[in-house]
Amino acid sequence: MSRKIVVATLLFAMLFSLSACRQQAKEETIKIGFFGALSGDQAVWGQADRDGVILTVEQINAAGGILGKKVELVVYDDKGDQLEAVNVVKRLINEDKVVAIIGCNSSGRNIAVAPVAEAGKVPVISTFATNPRVTVPEPGKLMKYTFRVCFIDSYSGYVKAKFAWDDLGARRAAVLYEISSDYSVGVRDFFKQSWAELGGELVADEAFKSGDVDFRPQLTKIKEANPDVIIMPFLYKEVALSTRQARDLGITATFLGGDGWPSSALLEMAADAVEGSYFVNHGDINAPNVQEWREQYKKRFNKDIEINSIMGHDAMIMLKAAIEKAGKAEPEAIRDALENLKGVEVFTGVINIDPATHNPVGKAASIIAIRNGQFQFYKQFEPMK
Amino acid sequence: MILQQIVNGISIGAVYALIAVGYSLVYSVLNFSNFAHGDVLMLGAYIGFFSLMLLKVPFPLAIAMAMVGAGIIAMIIEKIAYRPLRLRRAPLLYFMISAMGMSIFLQNFTIVTIGPNFRTYPDIFPVKPFAVGNLSIGRLDLVILIATVIVLLLLTWLVYKTRIGIAIQAAAYNMRVASLMGINPDLIATLVFLLAGASAGIGGVLFGMKYTVYPWMGVLTIKAFVAAVVGGLGSLPGAVVGAFVLGITETFAAAYISSAFRDLFSYLLMTIIIVARPAGLMGTVAQEKA
Repeated sequence: MSRKIVVATLLFAMLFSLSACRQQAKEETIKIGFFGALSGDQAVWGQADRDGVILTVEQINAAGGILGKKVELVVYDDKGDQLEAVNVVKRLINEDKVVAIIGCNSSGRNIAVAPVAEAGKVPVISTFATNPRVTVPEPGKLMKYTFRVCFIDSYSGYVKAKFAWDDLGARRAAVLYEISSDYSVGVRDFFKQSWAELGGELVADEAFKSGDVDFRPQLTKIKEANPDVIIMPFLYKEVALSTRQARDLGITATFLGGDGWPSSALLEMAADAVEGSYFVNHGDINAPNVQEWREQYKKRFNKDIEINSIMGHDAMIMLKAAIEKAGKAEPEAIRDALENLKGVEVFTGVINIDPATHNPVGKAASIIAIRNGQFQFYKQFEPMK
Repeated sequence: MILQQIVNGISIGAVYALIAVGYSLVYSVLNFSNFAHGDVLMLGAYIGFFSLMLLKVPFPLAIAMAMVGAGIIAMIIEKIAYRPLRLRRAPLLYFMISAMGMSIFLQNFTIVTIGPNFRTYPDIFPVKPFAVGNLSIGRLDLVILIATVIVLLLLTWLVYKTRIGIAIQAAAYNMRVASLMGINPDLIATLVFLLAGASAGIGGVLFGMKYTVYPWMGVLTIKAFVAAVVGGLGSLPGAVVGAFVLGITETFAAAYISSAFRDLFSYLLMTIIIVARPAGLMGTVAQEKA
């Protein structure tokens, strides 16, 4: 009789402690922030970034979380606006008290947000901000709390020049770029530099402003200069409009773009105008190692992945590795771990962070071609020496 | 190249002209700038787009539906956002604030209901442009130019040759005296917004076909507003002249000075014109408004 009571008491105590355990687990989550353009003309990418992160977090949690704790994600929309991005990052740091932040897909916004992360001492991992000044605003100065998972514009400018010279056999190049975008101006500068080193001739260098819809004046000048290839480092809406107008004007040169191109909206809007074009990208959504995850993504969100979904995944995996290396989910410790992170395998390659620049070293670009109205993997480019 | 650039300038100017007359028409009678005009244009573009894509109506009918739809929307905006202010004789500044409020409301309403994606009109006209020697003239650009001319002629006829037009002119000259003469100011305001809305409707469809359709496309009409001011706000021919001046200036600044400094030079020129002739190129004295 008394034994029964003892057993019952023990059982009760066990149950109680179990439920206490569960309660404790519920309280002890790792809070991570996300910000990105969930509305506005970059919404396609902001949402893909977010969904990539969400799915990865769910998969991490299903597998037991990080350091035995579940990950909790706080998501905010920055509307593609620099001021709004600063606001939401302040909120993530001060009110939500997240230990790390993932976002966003734009150099301009990450440059605006970097000082906020610095002041709040919370690390930010950008998915797609490729301008070198995001982490190194001026030579010798490092944004201690800003990291990224993508290659940078100096490399993509180099790849564009080398690809145009070697693979397209182009000798006369024209550039059309968006003067109000840190990304576009950056790629244009680095392309010009690499192109000059190769001995290519730059026959036209034309700018437009964000929000413009008519590019005919610039394109007429470019047509007059008769280039073999036109470099177009800007986003898909402007790509669709400018390529259509270029073909209207009878321009036959090959278009060569960058990571602002990949979006199914481009194929819809530009239709035939981009047929036969190429662009430099961070990876390939048709790569074999991504396909299983792609199916899970389709099932979860009922839509196909964009390259940003992959970058969102990679950023989250990078953060997980850093937290595990740090051994604790505290902003300072995560920052220190990120700075010396080596050999983290992600979809788009292996992440080795250079402590001096916070850039991933040795990441390679994929060249994607547009054939029969579809994105097709063309070739893998070697990393820059 | 200079010929091609003139063609480019005219094709840009024609779009500005179609939008600028709407600003001028409203200003001539009610003395304020309807900043929601661009958003009426945006809604016109969506009406045209969905008529074509979902209802599968023929193109001329889609334009008609966009004109009627945008006209009615403009009338409703007048009724809920401006009329109460007018009846209370509120200061002009309040009209501007109310107009901006409507503009932001319409943009966000569209983002929430229709979505932020870009919509592309199907190619109604063959994409292949006319090639005259080295010169290329888009078919759509020709259609836009012709449509602009027709709309302008119609508006001019309405305003200068019909009884209603004479009533509008009288109201433009002095709303209070006109109302003493038996002209109903509410009716005039409704009519003016209907006309401005209808021109925004066709402008939206043509603009959408030339470029693309999205919720914040109305922002671009700010350039047409500048054209209307430079031409002489309140003057219909002035709006057209201002639009072509702006279109060609922008093009030439991009072509012969620097595309990076295009807006800097073209808007500097606009500022100089306004400072030199505060009434604009064609705006003279109050009697000749409308």
